[in-house]
Amino acid sequence: MISPQPAHKEQTSMGTIMSHKAFGMYAEDCLDAVCREVARLESILSRYIPESDVSRINQNAGRNFVEVNPETFNILARSLELSAICDGNFDITIAPLVNLWNIGKNSFTQPPIREMKQVLELVNYRDLILDASSKKVGLSRPRQAIDLGGIGKGYTGDCILEIFRDFGVTSAYSNLGGNVVTLGAKPDGTPWNIGIQHPRLVDSLIGSLAVIDRSIVTSGSYQRFSNDSLGNQFHHIIDPATGYPVESGLVSVTIVSDNAMTADVLSTALFVMGVNRGMELLMSFPKTEAILMDSEEKVFVSKGLKGHFQPNEGIEYTILE
Amino acid sequence: MIGWIIVLVVLTAAGIPAGIGISKLNKEHAEARNVSLNGVDFNSLIDGEYTGSYEGGMFKWRANTVKVIVSEGKLSEIEPISGVVDQGKGSTKMLYDRVIANQSLMVDTISGATLTSKGYLKAVEIALSQAN
Repeated sequence: MISPQPAHKEQTSMGTIMSHKAFGMYAEDCLDAVCREVARLESILSRYIPESDVSRINQNAGRNFVEVNPETFNILARSLELSAICDGNFDITIAPLVNLWNIGKNSFTQPPIREMKQVLELVNYRDLILDASSKKVGLSRPRQAIDLGGIGKGYTGDCILEIFRDFGVTSAYSNLGGNVVTLGAKPDGTPWNIGIQHPRLVDSLIGSLAVIDRSIVTSGSYQRFSNDSLGNQFHHIIDPATGYPVESGLVSVTIVSDNAMTADVLSTALFVMGVNRGMELLMSFPKTEAILMDSEEKVFVSKGLKGHFQPNEGIEYTILE
Repeated sequence: MIGWIIVLVVLTAAGIPAGIGISKLNKEHAEARNVSLNGVDFNSLIDGEYTGSYEGGMFKWRANTVKVIVSEGKLSEIEPISGVVDQGKGSTKMLYDRVIANQSLMVDTISGATLTSKGYLKAVEIALSQAN
């Protein structure tokens, strides 16, 4: 018996606003558990909390291996796998670059080139060493650091889905600051209708997606852009290869997948790689689709989303076969 | 050039006056994000014309008034009366068109983020709440 009134909760965590909605007998209790789970994951995965596993790894970079929670270990292992599959276009050791650009703070400025070169050398996921037998983790060189900003919310989304199921919820969604996970369909059996934010028009959507049991993650250059004294404009997605904000010709990447962690990583990787290389990479992930917008506001939709994607008025799109 | 346009659009959209503290700005944005939009039952609208005003948050940046028309039980028109500044390329009109097409203030949720549009939708909701 599904209760007609959904439970709804909002929380601020992981530097963003999260909103959860669930239908079911135990929906209220379920969302309490979801909020606790999010807080727990933030406490081990955030690099802004000094006692977290991630902070301890960073504090000991180039010096010691540190013992971490088995869950942290598994996330890091999966991060390294995905970094390799994405050919380094996704890299969790990007933290020193993110710091250099001051991302996440209220303004960021273009760093001096000499400093940029030094910091760029610190970014290399191969320098994160995992010892499976002791569950110990270490970074090879001093000043190296990891940041799970491109994978942590995805992992959290997957954990939330498990909690929904544990509480017998069959219809729910969570929106983790733009990373959306859906469970089942809406109580009336129709798909969830997920808007895809337009990267340049504040009030507008690229379109909407009708989905059941899917995770949807959008990376867009609309977030956190800034201009320096010379009038240059930057956005927050940094290319691990160049050290500069990505210029791949894409302004928005949405990934639709049955796994939120994969969707999170691929949204960043495809943003960095651009349409052609990005779509090639996508082929190696089954049940994973994409909606891309380039800088001329042309939209490309992978063929598996045919019939699920509804473009907004005035948006023209091409299905990629 | 496009970079400047984007920055200008955003600054105008947020209406950021010189000298306002960043922490206050964050507070205002957090408030805007938290505006909830779920008070209208589109299945039981009574025909008529209604106006609605949203006070626009702590600094009134998003204050706006709209007139809505309900005919044959459906929201048929949204007309901005005051305070609605188009966010570029007719996007606010597109926002209203989407509401009318879907007979709903929202898609279920949005992948990405949005602030000002919520303020505009709030005024529509306040207008429509009189039609329930």
